[in-house]
Amino acid sequence: MALEQALARLQDLPLPTQIRESDWLFPTIETVHVFALVLVVGTIMTVDLRLLGIANKERPFSQVAAEMLPWTWTAFAIAALAGMLMFSSKALIYYGDIPFRLKMVCLLLAGINMAMFHWLGTRHLEAWDRGRPPRAAKLAGGASLLLWTTIVAAGRWVGFTT
Amino acid sequence: MIQEFCDWLSMTNVSVAFQSANWFVPTVQTIHIISIAILLTSVYVVSFRLIGVTRGGQPLAVLVAKSTPWVWITLCVLLGTGILLTITEPARELLNWVFRVKMLMVVALAGILLVLQTRLRRSPEYWTESPMRRFAARAIGIAAVIIGAGIVTAGRWIAYV
Repeated sequence: MALEQALARLQDLPLPTQIRESDWLFPTIETVHVFALVLVVGTIMTVDLRLLGIANKERPFSQVAAEMLPWTWTAFAIAALAGMLMFSSKALIYYGDIPFRLKMVCLLLAGINMAMFHWLGTRHLEAWDRGRPPRAAKLAGGASLLLWTTIVAAGRWVGFTT
Repeated sequence: MIQEFCDWLSMTNVSVAFQSANWFVPTVQTIHIISIAILLTSVYVVSFRLIGVTRGGQPLAVLVAKSTPWVWITLCVLLGTGILLTITEPARELLNWVFRVKMLMVVALAGILLVLQTRLRRSPEYWTESPMRRFAARAIGIAAVIIGAGIVTAGRWIAYV
């Protein structure tokens, strides 16, 4: 109940109210969110496909990751900021929405997977860099592909349920 | 005439079946968005190299040869899913000027990439052979980045205009 009161107070603040009531503000922020998210998904999938041994097979994993991940984090920061602004405009509706909750859970799991894969990857860099990817690398890549696909799907469903 | 075509299409059995399945549009849109993600990333990897934002690594010809198959495959998927979405809601797409602008930008991007790819096939050094070509390569990179962003923007605004 306290959380719902806090969310109600959040969406009544001047900026969230302006986003909700404006004709162009919400679509503009949503466009920025989608554009950034598209780049997050595209760059992460490039790394995932390398982990699975499908794309960029002849290049070291560390090189592909070093090229892609700075873009991933930059785009993620922009997507997260735009997402928070969108959330603040209809906080109570989003909070009660099942696809939105699924998206948040998958984001958390994708973050955990990424942290684990970073930890494992740096410990076994030699094995991940050359030849056929080890099972742990394939598992991390597969889980990431699945989670990001679910994040996109849940995000799209939010548009139909809120 | 387009209005009449939209009315006819939306009454066909296929369109009615797509409209009545609640899962259909979000599922097709999800595939559409993931395809755009792969397309845009492939285009931007090449574009940033052409502009000079990224340097080193693989030669441009190798980078383009590896990226373009993903571009053409995802463009086919985008075309297929786009047709399905248009069949489901013809008026939303075909009567919308934003949709037409989006289509023009898709054609422009495909054209730019085709020119880039065919010239590189002729000579791997084509875009670095003279200051004029280096300038043209830079211009192509900038245009591709802007058009790519424009396609995503127009895609989202179709729902609001």
